[in-house]
Amino acid sequence: MKALIISEVIDGKLGLGSLEIISKVRNLNIEFQLVTVGVDDVPTIGSDSFKQTYLKRSSNSLQYNKVADYINNIIQNEQVNLVLASSTYQCRDIISFLSVDFNSSPVSNVIDFSIENHKVQTVNSINGGNQLYKTEVDSEVSFLLIRPKSFEAVDIELNSNYISIDVEDGITKIYDIHKEEKKGPQLEDSKVVVSAGRGMVDVSNLSIINELASKLNAAVGGTRAIVDAGWMPYSQQVGQTGKTVKPDLYIACGISGATQHQVGMKDSKFIIAINKDEEAPIFQISDLGIVGDTLNILPKLIESI
Amino acid sequence: MKIAVCAKQIPDPAIEISYEKGHIKRPEEQVLDDTDRYGIELALQLKEKFDAEVTILSMGPKGTLKGVQQALQMGADKAMIVSDENLSGANSLTTSNVLSELAKLSEADLIILGTESTDGYSGTVPQQISRYLNLDCISYVKAVEVNSEKVILTRQTIEGSEKVDMPDKCVISVTAGGVEPRYPNFKDIMAAKSKSIQEIPLNNLNLTAKNNLKFIDIEEVESSKNGQKVIDDGEAHKFIIEKLKELKIL
Ligand SMILES: Cc1cc2nc3c(=O)[nH]c(=O)nc-3n(C[C@H](O)[C@H](O)[C@H](O)COP(=O)(O)OP(=O)(O)OC[C@H]3O[C@@H](n4cnc5c(N)ncnc54)[C@H](O)[C@@H]3O)c2cc1C
Repeated sequence: MKALIISEVIDGKLGLGSLEIISKVRNLNIEFQLVTVGVDDVPTIGSDSFKQTYLKRSSNSLQYNKVADYINNIIQNEQVNLVLASSTYQCRDIISFLSVDFNSSPVSNVIDFSIENHKVQTVNSINGGNQLYKTEVDSEVSFLLIRPKSFEAVDIELNSNYISIDVEDGITKIYDIHKEEKKGPQLEDSKVVVSAGRGMVDVSNLSIINELASKLNAAVGGTRAIVDAGWMPYSQQVGQTGKTVKPDLYIACGISGATQHQVGMKDSKFIIAINKDEEAPIFQISDLGIVGDTLNILPKLIESI
Repeated sequence: MKIAVCAKQIPDPAIEISYEKGHIKRPEEQVLDDTDRYGIELALQLKEKFDAEVTILSMGPKGTLKGVQQALQMGADKAMIVSDENLSGANSLTTSNVLSELAKLSEADLIILGTESTDGYSGTVPQQISRYLNLDCISYVKAVEVNSEKVILTRQTIEGSEKVDMPDKCVISVTAGGVEPRYPNFKDIMAAKSKSIQEIPLNNLNLTAKNNLKFIDIEEVESSKNGQKVIDDGEAHKFIIEKLKELKIL
């Protein structure tokens, strides 16, 4: 088995998801190399312990088709038979393109995988994590999109040891690039996450959530319902179509606990939920459930900290 | 201009999905996936500007065709469907293969989809279709601005967002919230009844994708915690404080 891990480079760093995949691949003793995609000139993303090709794209051109063409070549030249990537936007695009080239349907939302008799077997979490769905991939080249936080990330010493290739521009131009400001603790690496749902009743009440989070040095998350309503930027959405978090403590405030939300947080070590509906599904996965009104309880909680 | 929107009929999303031999069980009556309403809405907004024809493309068991009807009720002009037992449990690549063949038959310039379906959520179909058709894929569109000269699409990215001018020919995937789907009124609902739903035999399509994903099994896991539950009597915050101390967060 020979693996290729695709990773994006963000702010000059390797995507966190790829560090998680590297740790898994090392555990399985699979030979691997990396192909990375980013806009930085000379990011410190290389290592002496694996081969890497850095595909440098320009920030003002949509080039993922071309990026996929380069990776297609690498897969063929290096006789790769397992292609892995974290399910991020870019990697979803790239893996999808390659799956057509190699006529091999990818497996999405993978939370674990193994090699049995030279075949790749994958595990998916379905129905809000109540069931595990297992698949065997029968292809010359297998493509897997892995959910973030499925494996513990490795810590590697990084240098500039990689081959760099400039990707030529695509047809479609990109402009007005907007970077969301990152302030305070980030969802991906905070020990405590305070999340809000529609049960915070009004966007103005998010100040309560922010105050609690700042007292606990916590990151702030939210449900898709409130992200869609414009209360919070998408980068703070937790769940199936947002981020996956595994903090020591997750406090769910006014969140019903839809399976799509649970997928992104149910593996938190300790879960506290506040919801006025005693039957809310969030209580089924909570360690401590408080049945009551967020707007009564949270101010008192903040006061007593 | 011709626009195709891929729309999926799914089991009522309020009911937990059940499986049979690894495939999602599909009842006679399936509904339109809400995710697709965003794609249909975008197509209708473009139709208003460019006087386009909007065709719904759908693959899956026909059943009562309720989901396809719902798509037509929103204002799409007609539908083309493929319904074949051999496609039961089709993987994402097979789905994309079939839908891109339908897109060719519809002669669409633009092909619009949601980012992922509610039941399968593989999240790869729009991009795969674009590769089959050799078109650019403008994925994860979260805002649309139609002005007098052009259509500006805002893409969601890992770091924030970026804009592109909509190419004349491309595949677009729209995120939830990218546009506000309209509700059909009585007139729309009545009008939909006489719209054409053309069934295309699978044999007429060039299907090359293979069934490379073999179902092994489904394992039940006990994930329910049902931890301590406290009904707030005005003092419940004290239980939280206690826990925060126990967890050494305070
Ligand atoms: C394909 C797809 C992908 C999705 N992806 C995601 C995702 O990534 N993340 C996500 O979160 N969702 C996702 N969803 C949406 C998900 O199904 C739910 O709709 C959403 O999580 C609900 O958000 P909510 O809990 O804020 O709102 P609701 O479900 O409306 O729940 C609000 C809760 O607040 C409680 N409440 C109301 N007022 C108060 C009060 N004063 N005090 C205390 N409690 C109160 C209510 O009892 C209720 O339980 C997805 C859906 C689909 C179809």
